[in-house]
Amino acid sequence: MIAPISALGNVGTRWLSRFGALARFLLVTMGSWRFLPPAGRSVVRRVFMNQVWFTAIQAIPLIVMLASILSFLVISQAVRELGRLGATELIGSLMVIAIVRELGPLLTALTVAGRSGTAIAAELATNKVMGEIDALEGMGIDPVHYLVLPRFLGAIVSVFGLILLFDLVAVLAGLGAAVANGMASPRYFDIVLQSITFRDVWLSVAKGIVFGMVIGTVPAFHGLRAHRAATQVPVAAGQAVVVSIVGIFLLSAVFVALYPLN
Amino acid sequence: MSSAPLFFHDVPLNGGDAPTVTLEVPAHRTVSIVGGEDSGVGLMGRLALGLITPSSGQLAVLGTELATLSRRELLAYRRRVGYLPAGDGLLQNLSLRENVALPLRFGSDLSEGEIDSRLNIMQAAAGLTQVGHLRPAQANDEQRRRAALARALAFDPKLVVLEDPFVGLTDRVARSILEAARGGDVGQGSRRTVLALGPSLPASVIPRFEIRYRLVRGVLQQEG
Repeated sequence: MIAPISALGNVGTRWLSRFGALARFLLVTMGSWRFLPPAGRSVVRRVFMNQVWFTAIQAIPLIVMLASILSFLVISQAVRELGRLGATELIGSLMVIAIVRELGPLLTALTVAGRSGTAIAAELATNKVMGEIDALEGMGIDPVHYLVLPRFLGAIVSVFGLILLFDLVAVLAGLGAAVANGMASPRYFDIVLQSITFRDVWLSVAKGIVFGMVIGTVPAFHGLRAHRAATQVPVAAGQAVVVSIVGIFLLSAVFVALYPLN
Repeated sequence: MSSAPLFFHDVPLNGGDAPTVTLEVPAHRTVSIVGGEDSGVGLMGRLALGLITPSSGQLAVLGTELATLSRRELLAYRRRVGYLPAGDGLLQNLSLRENVALPLRFGSDLSEGEIDSRLNIMQAAAGLTQVGHLRPAQANDEQRRRAALARALAFDPKLVVLEDPFVGLTDRVARSILEAARGGDVGQGSRRTVLALGPSLPASVIPRFEIRYRLVRGVLQQEG
């Protein structure tokens, strides 16, 4: 009887300890900018720009495609079904609540976690396996400064920008779907614009920043924790993407709990 | 506490029950420690840099007891020691020149212009002027080792720790790498204190080492 409880307690303690280490890692990363010398800042800026290029710019076609397909499918169905009930004005709420506020940030974050989170974890784990992290430490360079901080900032900016893009494309694709199903475009815009509030925009922005922080922190944390063996690279990448996805879903639920639907 | 640049006192190399090592590396001396994979020699450089913490004993480098340092102090301390890690430790996504520049960019308040000037001098001294743009994967063993050493010497340290410094090098290059690490001669010996660690030494450089040890299962035996 005691053994299963003890095993459960061990698992719980391990998870708590890992969560604490992750939270500490996040705080250290956020505070590390203060200790950067001027020339180090220029290097961090360069790595940051690279990260934005790989994470945001290269992901634009994928995000545009996902947002278009999702919005087109949802709004096409909605116009038909709600039209039969004479409740087409609910399309606005559907667009804003389901797509702009919930699915847009969630799908964007999951896409970036899958695409760039794995890449960040694999890259840092490879750095570790190749002895580059020890070499940086041995030179007195904090790996957080050179490797983590620019990726962390890059992930935040990228996720934030991609969520805005997702929402914009979704609204435009929704227009296409509405028009294709017989709704006039001015009416579509009226309905959607009436449904959007400042709170929706603010929530989208907040989610962009929070999800970006998850994607910038969790993969870097797992990458740097890898042991010095080549088999650790896929392990770190796998753990990073799983923990990131779970974190994004949990935080999405926290947002809903803190800011319930109108 | 000893005033030697590097001082190990009763430090276990292979866990708590292993024999402990006591070693004093005197200033301006070129010292080698060789030993097999299981001897613990691979850990000595990492211990000296504070990359791992000994389970017991005392470890002081350049008059600083490492156990007392905070993380930020430890990072600052490491900039005072030149470290050439086994396998060079060059970052693969940077050119050789950018690798050499890293410690200057992150460990000093120099401006970009000052760093560039200093880099040009360091590259010329290391014989890397023509190949500075190469990535480590495009460079040969000699070029990589020279770049890694130039990076280790970026702040002109008094103590240099070299791990497997001569692997894959010809005798001529091995001698030249060692001379660069020593930094020339002064009245008391070499300008820098050098500790070279690894499985073996090429015969051509052995005469340049004033003190030589062999580490056998955690026990230091003086040679020569």
